[in-house]
Amino acid sequence: ITQPTVQWRLASSFPKSLDTIYGAAEMLSKRVAELTDGKFQIRVFASGDLVPGLQVLDAVSNGTVECGHTAGYYYVGKSKAFAFDTALPFGLTARQQNAWYSQAGGRELLSELFKQYNVIPFAGGNTGAQMGGWFRTPINSLKDMQGLKMRIPGIGGEIMSRLGVIPQTIAGADIYPALERGAIDASEWVGPYDDEKLGLYKVAKHYYFPGWWEAGPQLSFYVNDAAWAKLPKAWQAAFQVATVEANMMMLAAYDARNPQALVRLMNQHKVVLHRYPDDVMQAGQKAAFALYDELAAADPMFRKIYASWKPFRRLVQGWTNLAETSLENFMYKNAK
Amino acid sequence: MIGEWGWLAPLMFAALFLLLLTGYPVAFVLGAVAMIFGALGVMLGAIPIELVQAIPERLFGIMRNETLMAIPFFTLMGLILEKSQLAEELLEAVSQLFGRIRGGLAYAVIIVGALLAATTGVVAASVMAMGLISLPIMIRHGYSPAISSGVIMAAGTLAQIIPPSLVLIVLGDTLSVPVGDMYIGAMMPSLILTGLFALFIATVSMIKPQWLPAQPALRVEIDWSKLLHALLPPLVLIFLVLGTIFIGLATPTEAGAMGAAGALLLALLKRRLSVSLLNQSLDHTAKLTSFVMFILIGSSLFSLVFRALNGDLWVEHLFTNLPGGTLGFLVAVNVLLFVLGAFLDFFEIVFIVVPLLVPIIHKLGIDPIWFGVLIAMNLQTSFLTPPFGFSLFYLRSVAPKEVTTAHLYRGAVPFIGLQLIMVVALIMYPDLVMHNKGEEPSSFSEVNDLSNVGGQAASADEAIRLMQEIAKEQKN
Amino acid sequence: MNGLNAVCRAIDTLNKTVGRLIAWLILAMVLLSVFTAIARKFGFGSNGWLEGQWYLFAAVFLLGAAYTLQQDLHVRVDVLSKHFTAQTRAIIEIVGHVVFMLPLAVGLTWLGWHDFMQVWQHNEMSADAGGLARWPVKLLIPVGFSLLVLQVLSEIGKRIHALATGEKA
Ligand code: NA
Ligand code: NA
Repeated sequence: ITQPTVQWRLASSFPKSLDTIYGAAEMLSKRVAELTDGKFQIRVFASGDLVPGLQVLDAVSNGTVECGHTAGYYYVGKSKAFAFDTALPFGLTARQQNAWYSQAGGRELLSELFKQYNVIPFAGGNTGAQMGGWFRTPINSLKDMQGLKMRIPGIGGEIMSRLGVIPQTIAGADIYPALERGAIDASEWVGPYDDEKLGLYKVAKHYYFPGWWEAGPQLSFYVNDAAWAKLPKAWQAAFQVATVEANMMMLAAYDARNPQALVRLMNQHKVVLHRYPDDVMQAGQKAAFALYDELAAADPMFRKIYASWKPFRRLVQGWTNLAETSLENFMYKNAK
Repeated sequence: MIGEWGWLAPLMFAALFLLLLTGYPVAFVLGAVAMIFGALGVMLGAIPIELVQAIPERLFGIMRNETLMAIPFFTLMGLILEKSQLAEELLEAVSQLFGRIRGGLAYAVIIVGALLAATTGVVAASVMAMGLISLPIMIRHGYSPAISSGVIMAAGTLAQIIPPSLVLIVLGDTLSVPVGDMYIGAMMPSLILTGLFALFIATVSMIKPQWLPAQPALRVEIDWSKLLHALLPPLVLIFLVLGTIFIGLATPTEAGAMGAAGALLLALLKRRLSVSLLNQSLDHTAKLTSFVMFILIGSSLFSLVFRALNGDLWVEHLFTNLPGGTLGFLVAVNVLLFVLGAFLDFFEIVFIVVPLLVPIIHKLGIDPIWFGVLIAMNLQTSFLTPPFGFSLFYLRSVAPKEVTTAHLYRGAVPFIGLQLIMVVALIMYPDLVMHNKGEEPSSFSEVNDLSNVGGQAASADEAIRLMQEIAKEQKN
Repeated sequence: MNGLNAVCRAIDTLNKTVGRLIAWLILAMVLLSVFTAIARKFGFGSNGWLEGQWYLFAAVFLLGAAYTLQQDLHVRVDVLSKHFTAQTRAIIEIVGHVVFMLPLAVGLTWLGWHDFMQVWQHNEMSADAGGLARWPVKLLIPVGFSLLVLQVLSEIGKRIHALATGEKA
């Protein structure tokens, strides 16, 4: 057998069971090998196989692995600005994120942040709008959120706490039994396709939408800059186009699988759908932007990126609403 | 696919077993083998040197694994139960109840073993308490030393299969399945196993009555209030550990702490909790926690290098090319675990071997919860198989002089056999592991009703209604 | 040889003291965990309390490892080695400690310190609402392993002393 000329290791933040997300890294690996006659091989390691899922940025930054597949917002403990790489509550949809990131300077701005960590970021997939979590009992208003125990990590959890929710990031293995018996009242996860596999519908029937803290969360490939510099130009290009394909295909896979899974959840598992009450969403959006102002005041990097993100969001919202949402609303109301 | 340096991985396994035999601490041997082969891999160009930086990352991953906090929680609870003599009282009371029938003390041991098992997840406390109290009495009353030792070790080991249990927690964590599902899955098999133990005692007492004599001497009035008092602590603890999860107060991790705190409180109420007892128990717990966690850290170093040398691919290749498909795999895994169980303890096996099997069971479509319970049942034997068996060690350390090591080994054999029967039964009847709960019936109209609750925006109702229409169409 | 003995004794005293003190953190862990569950039930709760539990847990096993080594409680497979002479066992222990444990523990101290400094410089926090600063728990790695380095040195010293004088270590 001829040996590959370059062998990379990719640390994924995700377990194989999240096959749509994990699969994007495998797709990247396969495509890069095909584009380089098998000379550039990337071996994908699931969460924990080389490094724990939440340490992937550190591993890429230190050069422990050449690249990783993860989500920027896992690292908001280092800098809140990492959230722009994935999603901010009441932020951009998948298409809007793609537009901001690849065409409106988002990636360039984020690259400054990533440079401090010796990392080059690439968009690496999107789940599309997520669902808002599983609740044991329905909530009808903001008042019902008071004292509610919810497993919701990150900035979403921060905003929830400002609404009176008690965010509890309990151990992964404890989520199901804790939700089953009521030690927690609610837990968010991803969307119908992944949630169906986790099985929370067995213990909490009320399925809320939308997941307003994740309108279009982007996953990312991170590459160690020294490893990148050693790649021949053509292989860099091969890697880059493979990330673009993975980015597009993940969203396509979710858009294809989520509705089917939701139908199964409704028909076979008798899941009850609810939209978040308006006052919850309104208070949430208000709290979110108050938080962003605080973060911008405290953190220059956040401020700089926010200054690009916020006006872009406003503008693209107007356009999306005019061109897409209006047509969609018409079609949905008169659906046949 | 395994690459040029693929031969290093099997060699690594061989080196591990060789170095373990030197008697150097297991945790450090794991680290040492990782170091030798890591260095070799780097020199041969099979591993980039940068990979060593994964070590603190992995260590941090172990530190933030809250599930493993069950180790100190359950250990502390067990130690307090033993040192405060709560376990002793229970055993005395139950023995009194059963002593008069043939083999009665053996039944008492099984029942107390199962009761203690339902409160805690550690073997040491059960085996040592029963070894200290029951074994001398059984010997004095003419019980066969072998059978007596065997039943004490086996009943004490029930702690690891009857929920809550450290084996099930650690396995659930490794297999990425909810601990609660592991508990539910293990319920039926562990009860059947307990029943098999009792059945065995009944059979022996018929065939060889001289080994398990009845105790006319124990024919005294049963002190019911004493019995109730003795039964109360385990019942309280069962409530604290399982009940606090059930009523939605604690997560399974916190429930372990509830049990430990409850044991402390019970000892305090019985005026048995001295500062020195507490100090001893905490000290012991800290040391045990440290040695177990260091085995995990050592295993983590080992498996990092093993993976970097593509050893996981080698293992996968090895197991997926076995004759006999899934059954062949299961037989091979069980034989392997049984043999390893004679030399390693369950922590080492779960930490080193099981992660390598995970991708294979997913590939073969094996239910991970069922597989976890099957492995737990198999690892049950590792406590009893010489030369390395925790229960053997624990009982040896407290057994009276007239009980020899040969007695312990001989006594363990039939119970190992019973555990293996359960392993085979689980493979033949996977339904014994019942974790798939049925869906609660609910009508479609209820779905409609509930979705209209509250003052939601009209568009939300429309969105739901549209989705429901589509779902209905898909149904037809 | 007396100087060696005194150093070993000093190290043993240090690690024994640390070990006995951190054992009480288990009690703190139990109480904090119970408190977290009850407080949550009554509508209070914080990710900080949840994280505090595993901070304490990490402190117990990292800072207690040296003490556990001193008490010879790290589990061994003694199938074969129980037939070795005391001298053979001492030599195995010295070789193992010098060739493997010292470099490993020194290496982990260094790597852990490097990791700690990164976290310290970025003032890294938990990613979750109400979570804790990460530097204290990251500091446990270099501290725990440097205590282990000391204990390994002491174990080597004690065995060399025993081999040289023929006394029991
Ligand atoms: Na148990
Ligand atoms: Na064994």
